[in-house]
Parts: sequence; C-alpha cells; structure tokens
Amino acid sequence: MNKEVLVIGGGPAGIECANSLISLGYKVFIVEKCSEPGGHLRKWDRLFPYGVSASDTLDKLLQKSGKAIFFYDTEVQTINQVDEKFVITLSDDTQLHVSSIVVATGFTLFPAAKKEEYGYGIYNGVITNADLEDGFKTHKKELFKANRVGFVHCVGSRDEKVCNRHCSKVCCVTAVKQACEYKDLNPDAEVYCFYMDLRMFGRGYEDLYLKAQNKYGIRFIRGRVSEVAEDVNGCLVVKAEDTLTSRPLKVTLDLLVLMSGMSKNDDNDKIADMLGIKTEEDGFLSLPEPTLNNCQTVTDGVFLAGSVTGPKTLPETLNEARAAALSVHKYLSR
Amino acid sequence: MRERFLFGYDPFVLPFTLGMVFIVLYLLIGSVRIILALNKEERLLLLRSMNPKQLLITAKDVFVDCLLHIKVFKRNILLGYMHFSIAFGWFMIILVGHLEVILYTPQRNGVLYYPVFFRYFVMETQQTLRGAFFFFLMDLFLLMILSGVALAIFKRFRSMALGMRRTTKLKIGDRFVLYSLWAIFPLRLLAESFTANISGGSFLTKSINHLVHGFVTNPDNALPIWWSYSIALGVFLFTLPFSRYMHIPTEIILIFLRNAGIKSTSYRNGYAESEIYSCSRCGICIDACPMGVNRGDIKFSTVYTIRLLRRRENPHEGAEKCLMCNKCVEVCPVGINSTRLKLLYRQSVNDSGQHDFSYLSLLRESDSSGKVLYYAGCMTHLTPGIYRSLFNILDKAGVEYSFMDKDGSVCCGRPLMLSGDVKGAGELIKKNTELIKASGCKTLLLSCPICYKIFRDEYKLEGIEVIHHSVYINNLLKSGKIKVKRGTGKYVYHDPCELGRGAGIYEQPRELLSETGILMDSPEERGESICCGGSLGSLTMSCDKRRKITEHALDVLNTNKPDIVATACPLCMRTFSPLNKKSETADIAQIISRNLI
Repeated sequence: MNKEVLVIGGGPAGIECANSLISLGYKVFIVEKCSEPGGHLRKWDRLFPYGVSASDTLDKLLQKSGKAIFFYDTEVQTINQVDEKFVITLSDDTQLHVSSIVVATGFTLFPAAKKEEYGYGIYNGVITNADLEDGFKTHKKELFKANRVGFVHCVGSRDEKVCNRHCSKVCCVTAVKQACEYKDLNPDAEVYCFYMDLRMFGRGYEDLYLKAQNKYGIRFIRGRVSEVAEDVNGCLVVKAEDTLTSRPLKVTLDLLVLMSGMSKNDDNDKIADMLGIKTEEDGFLSLPEPTLNNCQTVTDGVFLAGSVTGPKTLPETLNEARAAALSVHKYLSR
Repeated sequence: MRERFLFGYDPFVLPFTLGMVFIVLYLLIGSVRIILALNKEERLLLLRSMNPKQLLITAKDVFVDCLLHIKVFKRNILLGYMHFSIAFGWFMIILVGHLEVILYTPQRNGVLYYPVFFRYFVMETQQTLRGAFFFFLMDLFLLMILSGVALAIFKRFRSMALGMRRTTKLKIGDRFVLYSLWAIFPLRLLAESFTANISGGSFLTKSINHLVHGFVTNPDNALPIWWSYSIALGVFLFTLPFSRYMHIPTEIILIFLRNAGIKSTSYRNGYAESEIYSCSRCGICIDACPMGVNRGDIKFSTVYTIRLLRRRENPHEGAEKCLMCNKCVEVCPVGINSTRLKLLYRQSVNDSGQHDFSYLSLLRESDSSGKVLYYAGCMTHLTPGIYRSLFNILDKAGVEYSFMDKDGSVCCGRPLMLSGDVKGAGELIKKNTELIKASGCKTLLLSCPICYKIFRDEYKLEGIEVIHHSVYINNLLKSGKIKVKRGTGKYVYHDPCELGRGAGIYEQPRELLSETGILMDSPEERGESICCGGSLGSLTMSCDKRRKITEHALDVLNTNKPDIVATACPLCMRTFSPLNKKSETADIAQIISRNLI
C-alpha cells in the first residue's frame, strides 16, 4: 500500500488534514483551484467570536504544511479507480496515483445579486459580508463613513425561494462581530441588524451578542427586509417588518451589508459524480453515517472534511479535517 | 323505390325510438333548467340574440365547432379528423337519410325512426340514378365515420399517435356510451349490407352483401342484426346523459348562450351548467396543465375539477391549487372558461374581506398632469433592476414621468381578486382609481403584467391610456425616440400568463427583442407558454412543487440554447432567475436598456 493521499481543496480543512496526514507519515498532494492556499479564510480579516486575526490563523496552519505538495490553479479532471488505487488526472495533465482521497472543497458564498430586492449590484450602498471583511482587511476608509448602517441576516439561507432551505449557521455571529467592528471604526454610526432568529450557539457567541447591545448599542430588529430602494440623495430606503411590534418599518440607511450565507460548492455535483458519491437535496455532499462518522462516504478510500457537507465554523472544520486524516490512516493501515 | 311493409313498422325500431324520445325530453328539460337559472339580464341578452344575423353567426359557429372541429384540427390533424369524421359524417347520414325519406317515401315523413332504418323498410324497384347517388353518399359517409371510429379505438391504446400524452380516465357510464358508439356504425354497415340486395346499396354495402350472401340465403336472418343496430343506438341514447358524451348536444346550447354574450356568474348553475356539461373530457387540458409535472397533481387538472362540479361534488382542492395560468382555457376545443368557474368558486368560499384598510386614507396623489404615471407594483419593487432600466429608457427618450408608488402605495388588487376576495380588491381599486385620476396623468405605465391585467380589465380610467412597458418601449423604438444596437445575442421570449393569454400581448415584446438580437423559438410559446410556477393564482401550491414546474418551464425555454431567457414580468423573472442555470434571465426593459445607443 503506497502512502500517498490526495486532498481536494486548499482551504483550512484541506491544509489541516494535510498537516495531520504528514505527521502520520503520509505524502500529501493538495489540489487548489485558486492561485493561493487558504480558501475563504484568506479573504477574511478577523474571526468570531474573539476577534483573532484570520491571516495569523492561516499562517499558523500553513507553517506545518511544508511537506505537502500544492498544485495551484488546478482542478481535478478525472478520477479512475484501479484495484484499490485512484488514478487522478489534473487540469494541467499531471497524473497522480494515490491510495486515498479527502474532499475538502468547502462552500460557495451565496451570490447576493440573486436576491434582487436587496439591490446588490444595483445600488452602490449595498455590499456583502465578504465585501465588508475585505474593507476591514484593506482599510477602505470610505466604507466606514456611513452613519446609518444595516445588516441583513439570512441572505440566501433559510430561503426556499432561492432554493436554500438550510441555515448557514455562522452568519448570525458574523453579523454581530462585523457590526461591533464597524462601531469600533465609526463610533457615531447607528447600526441595525435585521434578523429572523439569532442563533448564538457557540461558546462566547452569546457574550458577543450581549456586548453588541450593551457596549455598542447595536439595534436588533426581528423581521426580514422586504425590499430596498434608493432615494434621490442616493440613500437606501429599507422596508422591513418589526415582528415584535407587528409594524411595518421604513428606515433610511447609507450602507447595507447583506449576510450572504454558505451555499453548496458549485463543483459539488461534478466531484460527487467522479467519486460515485451523492449530494443531498441542499446540494452538499451526503454522509451515509452522519452521526457516527461525519467523514465517511459510500466509496472506500474517499473521505470528506469541512463545509463540503454543510455550513460549519472554523474550529468544527479543523476538527473534521483531523478526523478525516485519522480515517485515512485507519483505512490505509487496515 | 317503394315500401316493403304496409305499416312501415317493426318492433326492432323500439330501442332506438324510446332512446330518442328519452334524450329529446331530457335535453328539453335540461335547457329549460339552464334558462330558468339565468338572471333577468342574461335572459334579455338571450332574447336579443334571437335575430337572424346573430342566429346565422351561431349556426356558423355550431357548424365549425361541433361538426368540423376546426379547433381540434389545429391541435393535431389525426385527432381533428377523428372528431370531424364521426361528427360530420354522422350529421350527413342523418341529413341524407331525411332527404331519402322526403324524396322516396313522403308519406313517412316525420316518423322518428324511418330515416334511420330506411333501408330495412324499402325495396328497390329499379335502379334509379338518384337512388344510386344517395346510396353512394350514404356509403361514403359511413366509410368516413368508420375510419374515425377505427382511429378512436386506436387512440384508446396509443393516444400519443394522436398527439395526446395523457387522456382522461373513463368512468362506467362513459364506457357504456363509448362501446355502444363504437358498435353503432359497424352494426349499421352490417345491417344495411344484409338487406342491400333488397333495398339496394352502394360500393360498401353492396360488396359486403355479395360476400355475406353466400352465408345468409334467407334475408329474414338480417333481422337480428337490425335489432342489434337499434339496441346499440338505444343504449347510446339512454346512457348519453350519464356520460361525457353529453357534450355533443350541450355544446350547441353553450354556443347559443355564449354568442348571446352571457358569462358564468355562478360556478355551477345557469351558463356554468352548460359549460360543465359541454366538457367532453377529451383531456387536452391534462397535457397543457403545468401542474402535470408533479404526477400526483394530475388529478387537479381542469378536466377533473369540472367532473367534480358536474357531479355536484366539492371542487375545492383543484380550484384552490390551480395556478390560473389559463392555458387550459386556451387549448380547450369547446372554449370552456374554466378559470372563471374556479374564480367564481373561490369567490363563494373566500370572500371574507377581513382587512384593515385604514391606511388607505393616508395616501396622497402626486401631481403628474400630462405626464406618464409609472406604477411599479409590489413585484417590480422586488426587482429594482427592472424599473431602473425602464427609467433609463424613459430618460433617454425624453419622456416626462412620475413614479406613483415610489414610497410604496396600494396594491393593484389582482392578488386579492385571484383569491376570490372581490370586496377587498374593490377597496383597493377604488383608492387607486382616485389616486390615478387626481394625478392628472394621461398614461399609466406598468411593468408588471399582473397589475396591467387588472388596471386594463377592472379599473374605469376614462381618458387614461393603460399600457404595459413592453408595448410602450416598442412604441418608443418605432417612433425613433430611442435607438438600440443590433447584437448577436440569442433570446427566447417567455410569454407571461397575464400578458399573453391574459391580455393578448404577444407581438410587441417579440418585435422589441428582434430589434436588438436574434429571437429564437420556444417549443411551447404564445398561447401555449408554460406558467413560470411563481403564479399568484395558486393558493395552496407548495414551494417544491412550484420549483418542479419552474424547472420544467426552463427546460422547455432553453431547448434551443438561448443566451438569455427574456420575459416581461417581474414575477416570472424572480421565479426563473435562481433556477435558470443554462442561460441568463432578464426583463425586456433590462435588455433594451443595455443595448441603447
């Protein structure tokens, strides 16, 4: 049995899985479709709930991955199974022979323009959580001059009309985190969060939420935004319903941040097809034993890690990556 | 030609004669019941339509619809021929039969059964040219009917060959009538063939007589077959009212009432009754119904809803689930306005009017004297890309306009109307009418076909032109106020239900698209366009079922691989765009705005 493993996806899940596999003595290939490692983590500034720097986190992850062989700007073209080995052809025509595969292709951020009523791509003042994070990272000063800012939760999640019934899990706390950070940069801003439910499930999340209310004075309005329009001054007129007071609501804002959720990776169908595994109705890859083993697939030697099986926080993703590495080890030393 | 029997009677005529008397009485009572259920105004309309000119038009319609079946021909030639051959052939046999009686046995004129069994009662004295002529005609039309019957039998096994993917499931009454209908004409052929050596015959009956003659030397043996023929007719006539074939006589009544300008005002009685009984359950609406992609929902298609109505059972589920896309009405060969029946049903159960309309008094009109007043409606508010593109076009053309519901306003009332709440819709219509009239505008411009439909049909806005943006932009382009660059983009146009079937606007959007790119065909377009699945018409359809409908509609639209699926309705666009993976989805205003020069 050769000790070579392919990891598809060079995000946090892929890197951490590779790290664990290297320490167990395996040779790891990582195929990454972008030109740099890190996935979505590379684009983020700070992480909830403690405000840890995203780039520091990524650097620490990458420190241990020195022995992994990265293929950048590359995708998997074909996978053939010969006996118990996988023969993989990459888009640059490289051929790899490995004994096991870990799929860590992550998620795609919901394209906010699909919710046209929120006006992303139509009004200048409408941005997404990723745009704001980029603003934090690159210190875009003009972004922090807005005096009235709104955060719209659940954009493209829990929304059957855009075919995403699932909860994206991390946007609630991301919105709270970003709202606080915004207040740090512009203490005079009035900040509103329009939410359906606030799902503060993780350790430290509830504290952050309380801090957002007590320390930062962020206003939380329970109700979905129905539509956004622009007035003559270029300000955004946001219509929503305050479901706690059962009243329709209209606020004029300068900046609106849409919390785009985690959607299935656009390549999931292709990858699932190549590996003989299935996707669920929500588009994420399916797990035959979701409770007992969240890495295992129906195909021997193929394992899953991270948000390819549904929205996850970063610590969850990293844990799963390590679990997948152990599963590979167990499979190859059987 | 002379009579064979002194009294011109034989007991075998009884089944037919009794059946005939029964059906005539039944129809008379039925017609009287329908007329009694009409209100005073409708009866007046009916009375007024009894003038020679109107009667001539009705006679023409009856001829074209009931005998020639032109509408069925348009659907499928074989299916049309099947209906035409049986209906028209049978009619001609009856007509020529009567002519024969009038010419050869005038003393029997008016005897109910005589023209039907003519050839049993007469014998040929010598070959006459006229006899030969009529016999030839009779055989010819009989052959025509038989070919139709053969097709009908074939259709039972392979409906696809006649252009129908699915047909209606038969009930016991239908089977009786169907099998007796199939039996009538072969039996008639046999019966007339048995006596063809006595009464004379033509190419069909004579030839068969020569063949059969060898077996039946005694012509009296022909009697059982004449009995069978009469019994088949009798069974057909007696079971007719309990089967779907009641549409044959009822359609004539329906055409009379429709041509008098009467519309249904109840979902079950009066005019509606004539519509319900005119349904032949041909099942053309099953294939047409967009709900059919969810197999479990086939039972809600119009044909079955009408069957429930006919049996006086509750049509609730079908009537509430219907998307009200009107495609079944468009394809119905009888022209039953089933959408109206469903709407009337909804009115009878949903007209609660529990709304808080106190906010209406707070709304004020804007001054738009002489300008174009634009009303976006809720759907265009959710698709701001559409109105921004439209404003871009209006600015470019130098049109002065004002935005009526910029800060939100009153709903147009169509969703309430579709739910059956006429009273609630009426309140909104009243307020909007006030606002629009007080604004002093000359033109009311709409980008949503749902709004357009109700503004056009239900509002009384004298002196104000109500226009949909696809037509308005097309006018701007034609008059040279805007110019577009001609590209190589390939478009497929999706006809929104409310704009196409609802308002008859098919051409202008297509003209517009042809000006800026290549317009491609869709396999099902114009009147046959498939609902996007987002329709406000359905009150109970679930999201996942709607999604299947949307995906099916998109598959059809993307058949010819267009770059853009163009539509002229914000609701269609919202429904399509998240699910359209194969091409872009855009409103017609967005496409024109992008290509302005």
